Amino acid sequence: MKGGYTGKIARVNLTDKSVSTISTEKYLAFGGGHGIGSAIFFDLVGDQLPFEAFDKRNLIIMMTSPFSGTNVPASGRCEVQGLGPMLYPIEWFGHSNFGGRFTSQLKFAGWDGIVVEGAASAPVWINIINDKVTIEDGKGVWGMDTWDTQEEIARRVIPSLRQGEWAQVADDDFTTQVPAVVCCGPAGENLSRLGCLLHGPGSQAALCGFGGVFGSKNLKAISAIGTGGVKIADPKAFMDARLWFNQFQWNVDNPREAARFGGMGYSLISGAPSGGNVTNGSPPLIPARAAACASCPRGCRMRLATGDSNESVCAGTMIFSLPGSAKASRVANDMMQKMGLGHWQLMPTMGYLRSLNMRGLLGKGKKIECDLPIDKMNDPGFPQMLLDAISNRKGIGNDMAEGAARFAAKYGLYEDDLQKGILRLTYWGTQEHYDSQTEVEWGYGSILGERDLMLHMMANYPLHWMAQSGDPYLTAAEAAKLYTDAMVPYNGDEYMIDYGDGPTGIYSDSKVKQVAWVKHYEKMWIGGGGFCGWRWPMCITNNTEDRRGPTPNAEPKFWKAVTGQDLSFADGMEMGHKIYTLDRSIWILQGRTSKMEVFPDYIYDQPGRGSDLPMYLNGKWTYDKGAGRTLDRAKFEDWKSRFYKFEGYNAETGNPTKKTLEKMGLKNVADLLKKRDKLG
Amino acid sequence: MPKNKKPDKKEAPEKTMNRRQFLVGGSAALAAGAIAVSTGVKTAVAEEAKGASYPESKGYLVYDSKKCIGCTTCMLSCSMVHYGEQNLSLSRIQIIQNSFGKFPDDLQISVCRQCVTPPCVINCPVGAAFIDTENGNVRRINEEECIGCKTCLEMCPQQPHRTIWNHILGKSTKCDLCIDTPFWDEKGGPGGKQACVQSCPMQAIKFVTETPDQKETEGYNVNLRNDHFLNLGLVDDSRIIPPKYKNMGPRMFGGPKPKAKQ
Repeated sequence: MKGGYTGKIARVNLTDKSVSTISTEKYLAFGGGHGIGSAIFFDLVGDQLPFEAFDKRNLIIMMTSPFSGTNVPASGRCEVQGLGPMLYPIEWFGHSNFGGRFTSQLKFAGWDGIVVEGAASAPVWINIINDKVTIEDGKGVWGMDTWDTQEEIARRVIPSLRQGEWAQVADDDFTTQVPAVVCCGPAGENLSRLGCLLHGPGSQAALCGFGGVFGSKNLKAISAIGTGGVKIADPKAFMDARLWFNQFQWNVDNPREAARFGGMGYSLISGAPSGGNVTNGSPPLIPARAAACASCPRGCRMRLATGDSNESVCAGTMIFSLPGSAKASRVANDMMQKMGLGHWQLMPTMGYLRSLNMRGLLGKGKKIECDLPIDKMNDPGFPQMLLDAISNRKGIGNDMAEGAARFAAKYGLYEDDLQKGILRLTYWGTQEHYDSQTEVEWGYGSILGERDLMLHMMANYPLHWMAQSGDPYLTAAEAAKLYTDAMVPYNGDEYMIDYGDGPTGIYSDSKVKQVAWVKHYEKMWIGGGGFCGWRWPMCITNNTEDRRGPTPNAEPKFWKAVTGQDLSFADGMEMGHKIYTLDRSIWILQGRTSKMEVFPDYIYDQPGRGSDLPMYLNGKWTYDKGAGRTLDRAKFEDWKSRFYKFEGYNAETGNPTKKTLEKMGLKNVADLLKKRDKLG
Repeated sequence: MPKNKKPDKKEAPEKTMNRRQFLVGGSAALAAGAIAVSTGVKTAVAEEAKGASYPESKGYLVYDSKKCIGCTTCMLSCSMVHYGEQNLSLSRIQIIQNSFGKFPDDLQISVCRQCVTPPCVINCPVGAAFIDTENGNVRRINEEECIGCKTCLEMCPQQPHRTIWNHILGKSTKCDLCIDTPFWDEKGGPGGKQACVQSCPMQAIKFVTETPDQKETEGYNVNLRNDHFLNLGLVDDSRIIPPKYKNMGPRMFGGPKPKAKQ
């Protein structure tokens, strides 16, 4: 391996307290990050499936990518994989990821990833200092909130660490950096299915409930600090590529068309810094810096002079929105981070609580007894009561800790409320994000995955938000041309981004290709490159004169410079296809069937709110909303069947065929599926 | 001249001691304990340098710590162009940050000041730290001649010290304004390019030729922000209303609200 990889993955068994090494080289055919994680999961426990997420056999796999630790733009995310207790009705093999500095430090310490298996008999944390991996006593940190945990562990790892000074890490090795710690909070310790992993003040792995899996293993935290480096196969080519990339960034001193794009409001589209914190957008502004994850040239976060809501973005700053007090809202959202509750599941769970209360089903003396003052949800004191109840499983919080789906199921309300759209857990127990009848790459991509797709840069920011702005910088026709030019290997088919419901729209073969492109890109370049879903892919941008983004040129350019591997973009997408097929095979081993891959009734029966997007209507490209549209059940089923076929799966069952698996080098997967009578 | 080769002409007392000579007999004061390292050697060599004047560097790096986003791109570029790998500990510019801290004290940029009176050069017992008169008087360290005594680390008056310990080689090093970058083809030094400056996505590091104020602690920490930056909603004083906000543009995710129609 010429560069990018360290060559080894730490394997930590908490049951017998052993630490061993997995060779990365064995898994290079899966790229990096997500693909390697999936392959390791299959190898270690695939033949034992199905089992439950809180079973000791479940794994926590945390992978870096070949780009982690380098300054490939926005490539620092950590991919977390394992069975996800948040997901419903089956705790699918899921993934979540978080930003910050964790993957960098893990790479600098000399590791491509860490695989945690088994469960400790008493609380522990894992300490990684360069090549030393030790299992430490968790006394004193178990029970702490996530912020205190990180600070306490950093003190234990480097007792001599003082901000602004060099500290001795080991032997003759020094750093000015703080150990990167990722941990669960009280919610995870108490096996909440809402439990997230938190790194820094606001970097959540929010989906899947991996905080609860940490808790089930008696694992409080993992800390990494390293003084090594990441080898680059071709440093000169890398530097050329990094400077070439500057043209695609928001030029902070002299942005293109500043009158149109200047200001925080356009940051989602333009990639300008700081727009992720929604609480500090109107004068009087709190003094703040834009803050970035390692390697990210955008810096969508903020660190405020008040020190609250630091590094939290989007949902991390808006789950609690208390009327009249941004400060109180920030404090409340920070409390959520400290308790280690996943924002993206807390939101629907709270919403459902309110809905039940308004329907007269929940409250004091009601069918569902509730000891929280639901009618005072907007009071500044309410969030603390709520968060304490959920995290520590007190009163109604014990039910809420199971997540909205299981909460509803416990009281016999799930099916009815889901199908009617009262409980909008549209895909696998995670809440609907964008309109599934219109912005279908998101809805289809989620239902054909294992949770909310959560990939904003596919069509959402560049296309939907551009149109929504009321001042799109590309016409719909231009957007269709430029956007799909970048969608190698399916480039040339402009209808891939037709969101109309005509012959070339959301049920078309073009849409099959778009969704396949999304899933393959997700698995390889996002999951395998450690890319941030808020920055990649970049098919179009307002930052260049011709509006073309760095995709599909940047990905292979950086891959080759870092690893030395001559992997074309199309090669990478085929690898993504293989990884998606492997993930899908694991879900099938868990019980996934085609019949389960359907939306709740309300998506087919109730008019959607629509989503501004390019549509080809009456022979012309235009931006339209598609409001009031319902998804046609029969047409979607037919589309799904064509998608299966396109991917090399059985058109009826959606199960991968032997031929497809073997062509991909996944004979071992084919063998196991055959043994279980699940081959397509 | 090959990039790695030190120029013949330099401004520092010539020393001919190697590491072994230095450790065995070169500094008896060292044997007395660690304090001697930070006082005895400094005094001895500094006395020698008293009254001496040094040609000022023809280039400096200044920066705006309020503009920095902490992405560490500069650090990784620095180590890569010098060593061919991306390594924070080997970077000659250090971004030190506390994610839980309060702006602006949550982040510090630490880079060599190319001091007018350079303690690293003055105190190096073997002359490995030198003033490169052929390259704009940049204060440099020749790693081949460095004996790894760490005196320059101790003598640097800045916190953290701007001389860097290369733990792989067991040598000291420091910012050379990219004069010697074996893994980057651009010409560096004064009049050339610096990897950190070129790669910083925020344009928060700048090469200047005027000597920054040496007395002021913050003489190198300057304001590089313009109205475009303020328009991102990023101010260092809550009384500042960015120009864009006065006219109220499109509002999304907390941006300024449109003015109500009259």
